Amino acid sequence: MRGGVASPHRFKRIYKFIGSMRFAIILLVALALACSIGSLVTQGQTYDWYAQRYSERAAALIVALRLDDAFHSAWFIIITAFLCLNLTLCNLTRLPRLIGRTRAEGRPEGALESAGDVSREGVADPKAAFTRLRMPGPVACKTADGREALFASKHRAGLWGAWVCHLGILLLILGFGLGQMTQAQYTVYGVPGDEKPIGDTGYTLKIEDFAVERRDDDSVAQYTAQISVSGDDARRDAEISVNNPARLFGMKFYQNSVGWATRVNVLENGKPLQSAVICAGEFLPVEDKPELVVYLNAFYPDYAMVPGVGPSSASEKLNNPAWLYSVYYQGQLLGMNALMAGEELTIDAYTVTFTDPQNYTLIQIKRDRFTWLALAGGLITMLGLLLAFYIQPAKIWAIREPDGRWTLRGACKKGGAIFKEQFDRACGLGNEE
Amino acid sequence: MLQVENTLFTLVMLLYFAAMALYFAFIAVKKDGVARVAVGLQAAGLLLHTAALVCRGVGAGRLPLTNQYEFATSFAWGLCLVSLAFVIRFRFPVLGAFASPVTFLIIGYAAMQSKEVKNLMPALRSNWLGFHVSTAIIAYGAFGVSFVLGVIFLLRDRMRARGFMDQHIPGREKLDVIAYRSVSLGLLFLTFTIITGAIWAERAWGSYWSWDPKETWSLVTWIIYSAYLHLRIRRGWQGRAAAIFAVIGFVCVVFTYIGVNTLLPGVHSYA
Repeated sequence: MRGGVASPHRFKRIYKFIGSMRFAIILLVALALACSIGSLVTQGQTYDWYAQRYSERAAALIVALRLDDAFHSAWFIIITAFLCLNLTLCNLTRLPRLIGRTRAEGRPEGALESAGDVSREGVADPKAAFTRLRMPGPVACKTADGREALFASKHRAGLWGAWVCHLGILLLILGFGLGQMTQAQYTVYGVPGDEKPIGDTGYTLKIEDFAVERRDDDSVAQYTAQISVSGDDARRDAEISVNNPARLFGMKFYQNSVGWATRVNVLENGKPLQSAVICAGEFLPVEDKPELVVYLNAFYPDYAMVPGVGPSSASEKLNNPAWLYSVYYQGQLLGMNALMAGEELTIDAYTVTFTDPQNYTLIQIKRDRFTWLALAGGLITMLGLLLAFYIQPAKIWAIREPDGRWTLRGACKKGGAIFKEQFDRACGLGNEE
Repeated sequence: MLQVENTLFTLVMLLYFAAMALYFAFIAVKKDGVARVAVGLQAAGLLLHTAALVCRGVGAGRLPLTNQYEFATSFAWGLCLVSLAFVIRFRFPVLGAFASPVTFLIIGYAAMQSKEVKNLMPALRSNWLGFHVSTAIIAYGAFGVSFVLGVIFLLRDRMRARGFMDQHIPGREKLDVIAYRSVSLGLLFLTFTIITGAIWAERAWGSYWSWDPKETWSLVTWIIYSAYLHLRIRRGWQGRAAAIFAVIGFVCVVFTYIGVNTLLPGVHSYA
């Protein structure tokens, strides 16, 4: 009936297709293309940025197709979801067959009546061939017509390689997806002595100390921060450095990056009014005149004006410190300039100086409850690949012919032509009569 | 130590060149003895190459796996190691004749890079570096061999059966199995590379996967080779189609290694 309710037969066909290898290959190719596009198109930019970089038409296309955020776009998630569905259906469909096959591979019944992938007649000493093929002690049995037979099988676990690998990939995607949906991430930055809340967690982080370890050539060897975290009437201390995060209160603390902070001193008519430490990129409103704001654009420890580049720092040593600042009044930019050490900025009755440059640390805090699942998925995938590639299920059987000689047969699907060579070598070495 | 490494590196290039020339001579003069000498020279080159890498490591005071030069020379080492293993294991010197120019090209690329030893940035000071990069070297080496096998497979189809080549190039079925072995070795090690990289990234950057171009292209490479393995099982797609996929896969490997570093900078830009 055209246009009517889809028949169960059609559903079965769709179900079969979604779990099929053909669909898996289509999805893999689609996923590879999607990932390539996502890495070739710069992510997270604005329409104007793309229009300037490419063209108006390209920018419109990029934004319309969400290529600017490809890895979180609906089409990318749909491809991944179908891949998960494909893997699930594939594994579910194969499971009963796989269990049956694993049992059958260990039994001589079916094998003895089959032709096998390889065979050799007229073998005098079949046990020697079993040994050469590294088959565990063959068991004596009988064919349906009562002939004497020997049978051995090995590495049946190898049958499970693809299945285990699929399971691992599923867990990996699941762990990653759940992590992306539920993870919480915060950043806290400051200089030693600063204590700041960690987002909405109810915990506070105090930077007890921060040190930059340098080598003789002034390159950075390590950034290390001593931190303490308080909350729930408890306090925990830890040392964190790059590659050495700390786990406290179910959160992970990372030494993420570093920048420059400085003390800003404000005097009003020559009398101290205010003194505070701010980081590059931060504002400081003047205490008794908040519409007047000092903004620290950047700090250069070893200031140098490079033609064609602009202000930069020749090194990270405090050889020639300079502060690039802006001043705003009621939101309007009054001016922007650089102050060298010892220089002052005067705005009406206010005098501003910058002193005590020091490194601040940026600490990243993350809570992802599903990292373990993704890791387990990765390890299971590895196990699956090992089973699939290096554990080759094989079975060998020998049947005694009426003339007293033996016909040796074997099967090893994954071994292919190389197994045939090994079989021929094992049978050929002084075995023929 | 770095002086010794420099001398060894030059010797290695000479030995690889000599091995390549002898492999070609083997095909030209059709004498098995020539192939044996070529294999010997390749093995000698590999030994000296190993010594050069050790000297570099001792001289730099760290694993020599952190910049373009070090990874390129290690990549050539990995390809030489895997191709030599396959040549010996499958008694297949013609593979050496096709793999040696690729090895020579990669070590030539290494020779063009800066050999300056720089101190490691804090993010690279991790025990995971050794696991992550050394597994990548084996993976890339194995994929290089599968690429060469794919090319041999495709050329074999075009060659008329000639006595010598027919004797020294395995049949289609065996060639396909050997290519499968190299892809499976590469995919296993690439998986290990991606997983160790993810564990390391989680410790260093707080995120085990952030769609960095290098990560993404490693995943693309992984997917291409996974598609290869699935295609190989399907009837009618074995052999030629699988060989084409093996070639495409290696193009992805080269892009992941060189293209991403030069065209798509990200957190792996030092590599």
